[in-house]
Amino acid sequence: MSAPAIEIDHLVKRYGDFTAVEDVSLRVAQGEFFGFLGPNGAGKTTTINAIVGLAQPNSGAIRVFGYDNHVEWREARRLIGLAPQEYNFDRYLSIRDVLIFQAGYFGLRGPKVKERADMLLERFGLASKAKGEYTRLSGGMKRRLTLARALIHEPKLVILDEPTAGVDVELRLELWQLLRDLNGDGLTIFLTTHYLEEAEELCKTIAIIREGRIVTQQSTESLIADGARLQDVFLELTRA
Amino acid sequence: MIQEVPSFNRVALWTLIKREMIRSLKIINQVIWPPVISTLLYVFVFGLALGSRIQTVQGVTYAQFLIPGLIMLQTIDSSYGECSSSVFQGRFMNSIQEMLIAPMSAFEIVFGYVLGSLARAILIAALITVLGAVLVHTWPQNWLLYFGVLCMVSILFSSLGLIFGLMAEKFDHLAVLTTFVITPLTFVGGVFTSAAMLPQVLQRLELVNPIFYTIDAFRRSYTGESFLPPWLSLSVIALLMVVALGIALRMMAIGYKLRT
Repeated sequence: MSAPAIEIDHLVKRYGDFTAVEDVSLRVAQGEFFGFLGPNGAGKTTTINAIVGLAQPNSGAIRVFGYDNHVEWREARRLIGLAPQEYNFDRYLSIRDVLIFQAGYFGLRGPKVKERADMLLERFGLASKAKGEYTRLSGGMKRRLTLARALIHEPKLVILDEPTAGVDVELRLELWQLLRDLNGDGLTIFLTTHYLEEAEELCKTIAIIREGRIVTQQSTESLIADGARLQDVFLELTRA
Repeated sequence: MIQEVPSFNRVALWTLIKREMIRSLKIINQVIWPPVISTLLYVFVFGLALGSRIQTVQGVTYAQFLIPGLIMLQTIDSSYGECSSSVFQGRFMNSIQEMLIAPMSAFEIVFGYVLGSLARAILIAALITVLGAVLVHTWPQNWLLYFGVLCMVSILFSSLGLIFGLMAEKFDHLAVLTTFVITPLTFVGGVFTSAAMLPQVLQRLELVNPIFYTIDAFRRSYTGESFLPPWLSLSVIALLMVVALGIALRMMAIGYKLRT
């Protein structure tokens, strides 16, 4: 049986006296579209940061496709693409170079990288802007560039931290279709969002975190069984 | 495209070096031309105008004496400035996260920044060296010493820049070291004067100024003369370089102000 895309065991992360994540355990199967929901400050971003290596856990273990992200960190990171919520592109690079240099940091270069960068720019509707600077892109285009950058090194898992925050309805629907297509191609997607209809629409499995603890993890279908609305379930589980 | 992950990510190292070089060229009017123009002004004002009243220093004209000191001055300034501002900007804009989530070790990130900074220092030094040859007819006599000191000093101050780039909370903090330490020590460290010209008390004081060792050793590559034995200066520079580089590597390895 293949290793889960993400396997978190008893993760604890504290900042001084504040416990951001308390004994979190999660399994995300390969190829899954996984929703990770919770109110602001519940521990979503801390969990993501621990997976990608930006936060150092106090205890617990994280494996990505079977690789311990602390011990076999190069192998684990190689398989993850991160699309953060904020736009953190390198301001000295052109849009095409943002992708090519990101691939370089992942140890990839050569004509295949350039071809993939061009393919992604084309697929995400950014080809005509390739030589320009990211500061001239619209909000929606920056969102798409964030996603393209996360995919440039062909990760097997992509982590999306609120990928549709602040975008209009049309673009949101467009991004949803892109994400469905990527998931259809076999990519595992780990999504955090505050738009519950987005999670309901896209995710096969949902975990909800509250005050650093997982309060439920089950299939979307079972979570909203008997005609319940995800919003009501969410509010019931996260209410203080 | 998925490939085996190498134990040393040399592609990432080279990518970061290239990124630093692109950055320098994108802000060429801010980082490359100013040191060249200020060197020209120093040579004209101090070297050719005022220096004509001084006979010779270490067996060369005062303008020729100035050139190696000015190269060191700009090497120190550009190496510190490149690394400190690039790392701080990366933290401020969070673009450094592109490297932190990639399979890049602390060694690869630190050397990427430091070697990128060294490339800028070599470009500036080369331009000033050519200026020195054209304007005042001076040229290094010992290229090995020239490159050896240039590289060690650039690595030393790039590492310091990286350390301060990681520690700083705002841009203003980056200027603390340059304004209160590096610039004063550089100006009294022998750029404009030979230690032999100073009274004995000041000569002794120069020995606690680390920048004095860098200028004294570098000037020897031009004039063949130095106040201190070259082995002593080179040892001091090498020791400081290893310590600064070690601290920078350690800070990157623990993710100081980068990983929570």
